[in-house]
Amino acid sequence: MTSLSLHGLRWRPLSRRHRTVDGLDLEIPAGQKVLLAGASGSGKSTVLRALAGLLDEQAGDLEGQAAPPSRPGERGLLLQNPAHALVAATVGRDAAFGPENAALPRPEIHERAVEALDAARVDVPSSREPLATSGGQQQRIALAGALALEPDVLLLDEPTSMLDGPTAEAVREAVLEVAAGRTLVVADHRLEAWLPHVDRLIVLGERATVLADGDPDELLAARPHLLVEAGIAVETSTVDRRSADGPGPVVASLAGVDVHRPGSRRRRSEPPLLRGVDLELQAGTITVLTGPSGAGKTTLLQVVLGMAKPAAGRLALPSRERIASVPQNPEHSFVAPTVRQEVTASPWATDEALAEQLLTRAGLAELAEANPYTLSGGEQRRLAIIAALAQQPDLLVLDEPTVGLDAQRRRAVLELLEQARAEGRAVLAATHDPVLMQRADARLDLADGAGGDAPPVPPAGSDPSPDRRIGPVPRTRWIPADALNPLVLCLIGILAAIGSFAVDTWQGGLLALVPTVLLAPLAMRTLGGGLLRLAPILLSAAGLAWTTAFLGDAPSLSTEAWLLGAKEAARITAFVAPGVLALGAVDATALGDALGGRLRLPARPIAASVAGLVRAGHLGRQWQIITQARVLRGTGSPASPRLLTGATLALLVDALRGAEQQALAMDARGFATATTRTWALPSPLRWPDLIGAGIGVLLLVWPFVAEMMVG
Amino acid sequence: MNRSHTTRYRTVDLLVTVVIGVAFGVAFLGYGQLYPLIGPLTTAFKPAEGLLAGIWFLPAMLAALIVRKPGAALGAEMIAAVLSMLLGSQWGWGTAISGLMQGGGVELAFLLTRYRRFTLPVAILGGVLAAVLEWGYEKFAYYMEMSWSFSFMMLAFFLLSGAVLCGLLGWVATRALGATGALDAMPAGRDRQPVSST
Repeated sequence: MTSLSLHGLRWRPLSRRHRTVDGLDLEIPAGQKVLLAGASGSGKSTVLRALAGLLDEQAGDLEGQAAPPSRPGERGLLLQNPAHALVAATVGRDAAFGPENAALPRPEIHERAVEALDAARVDVPSSREPLATSGGQQQRIALAGALALEPDVLLLDEPTSMLDGPTAEAVREAVLEVAAGRTLVVADHRLEAWLPHVDRLIVLGERATVLADGDPDELLAARPHLLVEAGIAVETSTVDRRSADGPGPVVASLAGVDVHRPGSRRRRSEPPLLRGVDLELQAGTITVLTGPSGAGKTTLLQVVLGMAKPAAGRLALPSRERIASVPQNPEHSFVAPTVRQEVTASPWATDEALAEQLLTRAGLAELAEANPYTLSGGEQRRLAIIAALAQQPDLLVLDEPTVGLDAQRRRAVLELLEQARAEGRAVLAATHDPVLMQRADARLDLADGAGGDAPPVPPAGSDPSPDRRIGPVPRTRWIPADALNPLVLCLIGILAAIGSFAVDTWQGGLLALVPTVLLAPLAMRTLGGGLLRLAPILLSAAGLAWTTAFLGDAPSLSTEAWLLGAKEAARITAFVAPGVLALGAVDATALGDALGGRLRLPARPIAASVAGLVRAGHLGRQWQIITQARVLRGTGSPASPRLLTGATLALLVDALRGAEQQALAMDARGFATATTRTWALPSPLRWPDLIGAGIGVLLLVWPFVAEMMVG
Repeated sequence: MNRSHTTRYRTVDLLVTVVIGVAFGVAFLGYGQLYPLIGPLTTAFKPAEGLLAGIWFLPAMLAALIVRKPGAALGAEMIAAVLSMLLGSQWGWGTAISGLMQGGGVELAFLLTRYRRFTLPVAILGGVLAAVLEWGYEKFAYYMEMSWSFSFMMLAFFLLSGAVLCGLLGWVATRALGATGALDAMPAGRDRQPVSST
């Protein structure tokens, strides 16, 4: 095992005028446990990346970084948002990603993945989708991803800052257990829980200057105000900002409301996620909505915002323009090019003088001309809140308004909320922040069963002995097409598309479609789903028939022109339908295994493409949040080009920032050098593939034969 | 800048290329709502559908302008195409060929400058080339029976859309993204004025 050292680390990102780290020397002997403390923006993350050897010389001026790792995954790196570390469609394949990059033989990949998932105490089955698990589970899956490469060093960047108390504790325990015998460097602004377990505390000030470095007990005994000086801890304020008049009238209420899990509307047999929820939101109060993740906090916020309809119960909500909301990621709501314009971007925020006053109140007056996206996390949060307050709403709804903020920045957010309360607004916040809960006037805890008789929520998917086998991405229902290699499924579609060009008459075209119709059931998981997949094709075909009949060379809309149109419709259906049906059985992971593992196409582009494609669902959810945040601000309808343009920009910003973090996480798992890698699952060609290839050839020649028969 | 810097893909370059493709694949589902806006026009006169064609070339344009490496345009457009195919695009494997044409057209414009110029005129040229190739493919595969006079009208709509909605809009969008700081790790982010705030 080697020690880690930084010699005069200097770093200036290309986008900054000044260095963010200016001459840091650091020696960390092998096996030491180090806690890196510092306020947001002190450069903790940069120091961790430098220790990992992952700062990018193309992205800034760099000196004194640690040597690159001597083997893939020698230094594991965990990020604040575990979603950025996840790369695969299943938990098992995610744990296997590092060993695949290290080009380990297949049996060892599976062994390593299983051991790592056990060690990280991941308690969901390996077939589960990582991005669909809870935040705590995601962080443990990310830990397993690092452990699978048997790292000598673990570097953790605020690994628990987005988690609620008990979940954070479970992650911390898992980390400390696996850290035995390894070097550990944790950056965090919540120190207490780590302090008993570390040998050394390093407190960083501005530009990563070392304010203190030594044994934690001795340091804190000698300098009791150290953490306050460093801006990490704050003295609790005793000012009570409660409204002088006490709680005012009820501005919104829910009575006996049942809510279904989003997307489960059609399965009425499923019990509702929340049952019999009663909630009264009074002017001049802060109400917190608490409960474990998956308990339905976000879903209930949707109901209060009027974006989800409850299955039963009575609602009394203020009108659309009297409600303002702040999404968990403030960037999702940004619409304007400057901070000042952002505050008044909503058509319901009309008071310019109030806007200026709010800018000052949030400490953003000096940044009024900056682009909202370039602000720090804490500044963005405050901006989103004052932009909501500028609407002078009766009800302010916030999703996790303090998550991930250090003590100082959290206090600034709390002050804004308390001022809103003092002004007589009703504030509702979903949160797991104990400080915010303490400041609140009322609390609805969804773990308590919401309104009495709801069944207890099982902790999302916990399982004492989960199935660790790594297999293909699970399907809802097996169909014969699943027996085929993705390459063969692709081949069928391509050959059929080529064959369709033989269609030359409308009779031949209809005959050409016969095998497709007969074979379609083999590739349809459900009748409804299959028809849904085919409907757009038939619509396009009908459109093409009309266009041809109308705009062809034959007299417009004559019988001759319509028959030509029918031929074109049959031809285009024969061209696309077999491919669309066959692709229904293809998933990105299996396709990647086939292209990378079997065809030996360049490994890095293929693996990166799979990592991107499996995030499509995640990005789809972001898109929903982004468009909804804009509709809620009154900045347009979901079909307005202006809203779609802004939403696309916000989605791209989200995706690009995510890509940057994900690249870092992947490189820490040996991806940078993975030009030759192995694949955890084979992509076999078996006897059904022969039949599949036969079907492909049939679809290639049949239209030709059909034309001969009718001709 | 040496040659390996301009052609070698870092992990972040690969992922940004992929993620642009995926993000547009997702956003395109939302854009379906735009078609009803010009619906009456296109039902009556199909060639007018070319007016929105340029939007579909945007992944290629953004990837080229942001990543600035050979293959980025083609790669991002193919990812967007593959994603919509897996989700069930109505054009099946035709989507892959469209991806090849659109990505290839944009790629060609930047190849002509040997990946040295990433300016508005080159972007517009990329949109135009993508439009020509896509039109050629659609004429061959979908509209072979459309009369040539209408086909050329459709080409005119394609060219206009390629130049404006792909070239101009793509270039503007890249500038807007640069201003957010989201491109700071990318070659395109180097153009941004350094800031002194933290």
